Amino acid sequence: MNNTPEITIKNVSMVYNDKGRDVTALSNVSLEIQKGEFISLLGPSGCGKTTLLRIIADLLQPTSGTVEVCGKSPREVRLEKKYGIVFQSPVLYDWRTVRKNICLPLELMKIDKAEQNNRVDALLEMIGLEKFQNHYPNQLSGGMQQRVGIARALAIQPEILLMDEPFSALDEFTREKLNEDLLRIWRKTNKTVIFVTHSIAESVFLSDRVCVLSPHPGRLSAVVDIDLPRPRTKEMRESPEFFNLVTKIRNSFEGV
Amino acid sequence: MMKKKSDILWPLGFGAVFLIIWQLYGFHRLLDLKPFQLPVPSEIIMTIFKNLEKVSGDCLLTVTGAIAGMAIGSAIGFAVAVTATLFPKWGYGGLTVISAFNAIPIVALSPIMNRWFSTGMGQKIGVVTVVTMAAMAINAYRGLNDLKPFSLDLMSSYAADKRTVFFRLRLPSCLPSVFTALKINITSAMIAAIVSEYFAASTSGLGFGIKDSLRKAEMAMGWSYITVSAIVGIILYLIIQAVERRAIKWHASQK
Ligand SMILES: Nc1ncnc2c1ncn2[C@@H]1O[C@H](COP(=O)(O)OP(=O)(O)OP(=O)(O)O)[C@@H](O)[C@H]1O
Ligand SMILES: [Mg+2]
Repeated sequence: MNNTPEITIKNVSMVYNDKGRDVTALSNVSLEIQKGEFISLLGPSGCGKTTLLRIIADLLQPTSGTVEVCGKSPREVRLEKKYGIVFQSPVLYDWRTVRKNICLPLELMKIDKAEQNNRVDALLEMIGLEKFQNHYPNQLSGGMQQRVGIARALAIQPEILLMDEPFSALDEFTREKLNEDLLRIWRKTNKTVIFVTHSIAESVFLSDRVCVLSPHPGRLSAVVDIDLPRPRTKEMRESPEFFNLVTKIRNSFEGV
Repeated sequence: MMKKKSDILWPLGFGAVFLIIWQLYGFHRLLDLKPFQLPVPSEIIMTIFKNLEKVSGDCLLTVTGAIAGMAIGSAIGFAVAVTATLFPKWGYGGLTVISAFNAIPIVALSPIMNRWFSTGMGQKIGVVTVVTMAAMAINAYRGLNDLKPFSLDLMSSYAADKRTVFFRLRLPSCLPSVFTALKINITSAMIAAIVSEYFAASTSGLGFGIKDSLRKAEMAMGWSYITVSAIVGIILYLIIQAVERRAIKWHASQK
């Protein structure tokens, strides 16, 4: 295996200026992520998960520190359209139907029509919204909207998938199903995934490594290897190894 | 569905009761008015039909001026909003100037336009243009710039250029605000056109009709003009609302 990391985060700090008051959202975060790795960023609200994701995606400039992706700057990687992002809210365009929303990035990338349709059909099936493809976002529930957002991020078949609490608005059933779908897609494509979540169990089920962030100021307090075998199955959620990992991560939170 | 029905029935019922009280001289008793001071609905309607040719001619003239002025004013307002969005440095100044226009009262504007334009139509269109610019500029600017959180980030993640952001994101998301502006403007355009005719040198249009009839104490004729103005105003508003329904059926307000 090639050991140069795909993403290198070095001493990244982020200080927001909120009406003259400095808020340290991230303090000295360093992390290396391998190509094809599934990484979770886990932590309580306000610990800087979204901030870190936005810095990697070049939607935000860090106050200090550097991020390198495949030896390039995040900006270059963004301009090459290699990021697929699922935002914390669905961010659908209200004037586009479900189908057209998923298609938006494909239209912008001028991918040919037949290929667009194939990909969108497959994604609609995956998120279980074929029947709603001609509905407008305002006619969908929050969870359905979020699923459309996920499909849209997958549509461009990105090199790096950045997901900000994509399943937090979903019910337990849909969430577990989409967890498994996500792992299936990930195994097939072997893309790098950075997955933000509040849920310890979800992070254990999905990830190769879980990065635990602590708040005030946001910092990386532990990185836990998840050595459960793949493919992961429903039954694994019940196994003692699974529980041990959940407990280990819970104990690694500092002063929360 | 039930709610929809009662939404229509209540105002309709209220209107009918209002007309019946009026017809039966209820308001005359209440406000101590003579019949000639406030003609009853049946008399007004008869007067409209007796003078149909003259009234509809005047109406057409006023409506033409109002719509033409509104089209020009809204187009200028929209252009300013787009400029302010694409080139914030100069555009914002334009937006401020146009908003200041909004503060000029029509009664001051009309005599000024009277001196600028030789025809009644020119003057009318001039007044309506100035009156309708601001609402469109301000609303369209808001629509072009108050975007849903992260929707610009989404475009950045696709490395979309300014042009793509404008046509794929800003333009469609400003449509609801544009329709809000059009609905404000159609009402103020009719009022502006009518008021401007009060001050015009020409002797036609709904506004002149109202002024002239009331001056000559032809109350029924005056009220006919008032009635026609109101009805036309409502119809124009409903037309815009119907277009809005079709154009932005995706918007939460159109459920
Ligand atoms: N634009 C901003 N201006 C000022 N402060 C900000 C801004 N964005 C985030 N913060 C602050 O930075 C900290 C981290 O925010 P961030 O959104 O990254 O947290 P998070 O871990 O994603 O939380 P959540 O789980 O609730 O989404 C918070 O304390 C927040 O108040
Ligand atoms: Mg967040």
